[in-house]
Amino acid sequence: MKRFSEVCFILLFVGFLCAVPLLILLHGSKLQALYYENRALSAPPELNTQALLSGDYFSRWDGWLTDHVAGRERLLKLNTWLDYRLLDRPAVNGIVEGAGGVLFPFQAYGTWDLDYLAGDAAAICDDLAALDELVTSYGGRFYYVGLPLQNAFYYDRYPDYLENRYWHISAMTEAFAGAMADRGLAFLDLEPVLRAAQTEERPLYAASDHHFNYYGAYLAYRTVMERITADLGRDLPVLTADDLASEDLPNPFLGSRDRKLYGLWPGSEALTIGVQRDPVAFDRTDNGTPVPAQVFRLPATEAETVDYNVYMGGDVAETVLSTHRPELPDLLIFGDSFTNPLETLFYTVFDETRSLDLRYNDVSLLDYVAEHRPDVVLCVRDDTSYLSAEGNGRIR
Amino acid sequence: MVFSSMTFLFVFLPLLLAAYYLLPARARAWRNGVLLAFSLFFYAYGGPPFLLLMLLSIAVNYTGALWAAPGRRHPRAAMALTTAADLALLGWFKYAGFFFSNLARVWTGLPVPEVTLPIGISFFTFQGLSYVLDVYRGQARAQRNPLHVALYISLFPQLVAGPIVRYTTVAEEILTRRETVSDFSAGAVRFLFGLAKKMLLANQLGLMADEIFAVRPEFFTVSLTWLGAIAYTGQIYFDFSGYSDMAIGLGHMFGFHFLENFNYPYISRSVTEFWRRWHISLSTWFRDYVYIPLGGNRCSAARHIRNILVVWALTGFWHGAAWTFLAWGLYYALLLLGEKYLWGRALERLPALLRHLYALVLILLGWVLFRSESLTYAGRFISAMFGAAAGGWTDGRSLYYLLQFRWELLLAIPASLPLRDWALRRLEARDTALSGLVLTWGPKAAALGLFALSFLRLVSSSYNPFIYFRF
Repeated sequence: MKRFSEVCFILLFVGFLCAVPLLILLHGSKLQALYYENRALSAPPELNTQALLSGDYFSRWDGWLTDHVAGRERLLKLNTWLDYRLLDRPAVNGIVEGAGGVLFPFQAYGTWDLDYLAGDAAAICDDLAALDELVTSYGGRFYYVGLPLQNAFYYDRYPDYLENRYWHISAMTEAFAGAMADRGLAFLDLEPVLRAAQTEERPLYAASDHHFNYYGAYLAYRTVMERITADLGRDLPVLTADDLASEDLPNPFLGSRDRKLYGLWPGSEALTIGVQRDPVAFDRTDNGTPVPAQVFRLPATEAETVDYNVYMGGDVAETVLSTHRPELPDLLIFGDSFTNPLETLFYTVFDETRSLDLRYNDVSLLDYVAEHRPDVVLCVRDDTSYLSAEGNGRIR
Repeated sequence: MVFSSMTFLFVFLPLLLAAYYLLPARARAWRNGVLLAFSLFFYAYGGPPFLLLMLLSIAVNYTGALWAAPGRRHPRAAMALTTAADLALLGWFKYAGFFFSNLARVWTGLPVPEVTLPIGISFFTFQGLSYVLDVYRGQARAQRNPLHVALYISLFPQLVAGPIVRYTTVAEEILTRRETVSDFSAGAVRFLFGLAKKMLLANQLGLMADEIFAVRPEFFTVSLTWLGAIAYTGQIYFDFSGYSDMAIGLGHMFGFHFLENFNYPYISRSVTEFWRRWHISLSTWFRDYVYIPLGGNRCSAARHIRNILVVWALTGFWHGAAWTFLAWGLYYALLLLGEKYLWGRALERLPALLRHLYALVLILLGWVLFRSESLTYAGRFISAMFGAAAGGWTDGRSLYYLLQFRWELLLAIPASLPLRDWALRRLEARDTALSGLVLTWGPKAAALGLFALSFLRLVSSSYNPFIYFRF
């Protein structure tokens, strides 16, 4: 019996040692990117003298092997299930579940020196002042629309014993708002508006995603449009609630935070879109190429998972929506992915709506504005990005 | 290369097993050749240039041992020269930066050499030294085949993080070992238990310890510092003893029988006992090659105190070129002297529970000294543990760490105790069919289950350092 057990054990052990590399060879991931981890798979390391001598060459193979293990996503999902559902750890894959099932990013403990805020705010607002000067020079208007990120919006639902960092976001917002006011720039901080309208029955932010939902987007759109129409003194065709029919997609929604948990969040929420009762016709080009005139990228079947990329099909470097109504003004909207659901609404008010995402576009914003001279320029950013000069904070 | 890596587990080890066991057992020289080739690659994996250093060390010790053998001319000089050469290599690569940076504090403008520490240099240097010294003392025969010396020093299981294997332990096995199914099976079980210690406990506790030991002193709370100390106490034990388990297990798989390196050190009832149970191969090395030659304890009290201080200062410095390591070594010297001359007898009269508590708290404080970046930080950390914490008694962060790592903290307790030995003894004593079944299949099934979990963690996590690689 002992001998038999030893032989069996050795066969299983050695079999496992051999099966993993064989499976990598035969059934290793053929994907180029890991969806749940939102990153590209590591490529085989390149052999060169420097990498060889430093030991990097061999150590990179370790990363490659880990990435290409057969069934990697299933293994990682199982590991997440162990930590999240079975062992009930507070933070799993950088995600924390707060009151009401809201998913948050885990905020590392630490301290932040706030002295830098004023300097950073001044620098970024100087750039924004340059943009404002350019826009006003030809009679246009520039607005900076500030939105709370989901974790800032629901900060009071973050577990008490963890550090929600809201004090840091508040300090950043205060420094930024002060610098904008000093330069006479139009800063529309929508946090108070959204917070006042939020109810348990009709939340404005997703619980499992870092964005607002369609209701939040619609409220933001209305609020901004009220300010624009008042400033322009024009009666623009702003969509009212009656013009839109909200529709919850039947597909399972995978929010960005839930995605980090491999969809294991026990809660549920639907992705909502606003269907225009009397649709405004338009043409669409993405990065200069005509594409179907759609503002929602809907899946083929109801079983497919949907995510925030339903709005405008996700982040695109440059999108142009033309409604061919020259009597209306033109809009340029730039910012991170918060712009996506907003674009599905704003385009109905303008003749031509241009959208830029400077994270994926090397164009000079000032040159672009000078070239197209939009009547209204909107910068849409979340409150954790106000002081960032990267991506859509790259004004000059 | 680390044992708990994809490359080792699923490329290096299967290829080595195939190359080794496809050769017939009688082709001992060829099997040794395969082991040597793979061992050299194992070392070169982390940075090929350091392989040359290890080969130089092998050459020095091989030649030195031939010259230092009894009956040769000037064996003492040969031994002294070889020892000096070994220590010079270790000194330059491990201590030059520390020495010059401290000298530069008083001698402004002195250039400080930037020397990269080759992994495992302390281990292979001490193995080489023990070989030469044993030959010089006549306790081992000088090996004429340089490949055998090379295999002894570079044998991959114990190459970079111990245990420090004495030549006399494996000399015969290099030539005439016999690999068996039982040995291979027991070795693989041991290896998988070690891997699980590393992947499931040490790495998680290490995450916690790293974060807490990065906290600025003004944010210390009493609870946080105790948690940090406990986490590191767990991490270093499961990390290092896990590695030793893997090394001993791998040795078994290839027919070698290394001596034990740990014997449940946290059940000690005194600091003296702790050092009989912790990193046994290092303690015995210093005992045999430094402490006893200095006179050991068979001398006057004053000389004994000197011997203890010298050995423990060296033990501290062996762990790293930093004042914290020296302080850690001297801290143990003082405790050992205290137990020998001051409170040892009183300690023995205390209830066992209090003695365990005494030993554990002192060990814990020792690890704080060991883990801290500086003596100042260690001082503030320890002060905070005993109430002088700027942040008060507790905070939310402590609660988070308790919740986040509660399973590892809980599991660390039974895993530090000799429960497995106790259970095996009980089962053996019962002598029933069921107990026989459990004895036969239980450890193997547990090992495979732990392997699956370790694999899952390995694929999922990127935090995988071995603490003792840097020594």
